[in-house]
Amino acid sequence: MKKSISQGLITILLFLGTWYALAQVDWMNIFKVQQVTDKTEQKLGELFWEVFKNAEREIKSTPVVNSIDSMVTHFCKANLIDRSKLKIHVLDKEDINAFALPNGHLIVYSGLILNASNQEELAGVICHEIAHIELNHVMKKLVKEIGLSVLISMTTGNSGAEVIKETAKMLSSTAFDRSLEKDADIKAVDYLVKANLNPKPFADFLYKLSDTEHEATKYLTWISTHPDSKARAEYIIEYSKGKESAYKPILANDTWEKLKAELEN
Amino acid sequence: MINLKQFSYEPGEHEAETASNSYLMSLIAIIVGLPLPIVNLIATLIFYYGNRKSTYFVRWHCTQALLSQLSMLLINSFGFWWTISIIFTDETITSKYIAYLFAALFFNLTEFIATIYTTIQTRKGIHVEWWFFGSLTNLICKPN
Repeated sequence: MKKSISQGLITILLFLGTWYALAQVDWMNIFKVQQVTDKTEQKLGELFWEVFKNAEREIKSTPVVNSIDSMVTHFCKANLIDRSKLKIHVLDKEDINAFALPNGHLIVYSGLILNASNQEELAGVICHEIAHIELNHVMKKLVKEIGLSVLISMTTGNSGAEVIKETAKMLSSTAFDRSLEKDADIKAVDYLVKANLNPKPFADFLYKLSDTEHEATKYLTWISTHPDSKARAEYIIEYSKGKESAYKPILANDTWEKLKAELEN
Repeated sequence: MINLKQFSYEPGEHEAETASNSYLMSLIAIIVGLPLPIVNLIATLIFYYGNRKSTYFVRWHCTQALLSQLSMLLINSFGFWWTISIIFTDETITSKYIAYLFAALFFNLTEFIATIYTTIQTRKGIHVEWWFFGSLTNLICKPN
């Protein structure tokens, strides 16, 4: 009996030991797993961006591009995020929505900017989406919702245009898991605080949009895809407590007004 | 790892053939069972039940074949479900996962070679006791 137990334990240890020893090798690098994953993500990002680019008009006017770019660059600098990874696009659409696509594409609808009372509100939403990108939520969601095999078949051109369109639509109009949304909210608060921006307006924005009396209700895509806005606003406020610092807006007031005026035209 | 031992009696020709077949059974099942490790186990289990009233030599080897399959089932099932979770959930491929596949492959290969060797030896009527599984079989399988 003792012999069997000791031999059994040695066998288990031998297996675990072999596994442990083999795990010391950087197989991901040897098999270039990361490179393949990156390439898939890059291709998917291009495919989905193409869908939105063809459906809506991209706003390329200097005041709009420069203002959004200064905000994003500011967040990246303050939070040590690689700015070159993010590709920000402003699309002319009245929906109040912003969403992330694979490979760092971040789409902001003009409706969101126009409905933000101040730049901090917009900053909160942008930071929330940057957090989704940084935490790799987009690819996680895609793999979970439609599966790796379909994703790979998209990148190799074996999937129909309709599937790509539907998936792109899913990314723009459905929320992530509740836990992923919370992670992104918390991360967004961190980003805002480090960038010396007050996170409270972000919570206010959620409160404001959760109010059904709001005139823009029918365009509230971002809020309808992000349920429990009130609860979210509450934990954002809770989490921001004690993090106050010397808040300073990124854009000058007249730049912010100019941005809105430009979009209204 | 593998010991050639004197069995308590000299097995007859028919006994040696049936005992050898229990290992052969698991080898054949590997072809079907590669994607689904449980198939190997079921095959050896059916063979085990079919021969549980047979002679001591046959019973002994059927038990050893079954036990070795059980351990492989554990290793392979873990790898199998890990792979499934990578394909269908947000689990990602890591160096740890690849290392596990290699470790599992190494143990499966060792078991495969040992099984082929044992199939040949038992067919000749030679008693082969494996490391761990041999002593475990001695505990479970007693002469009538």
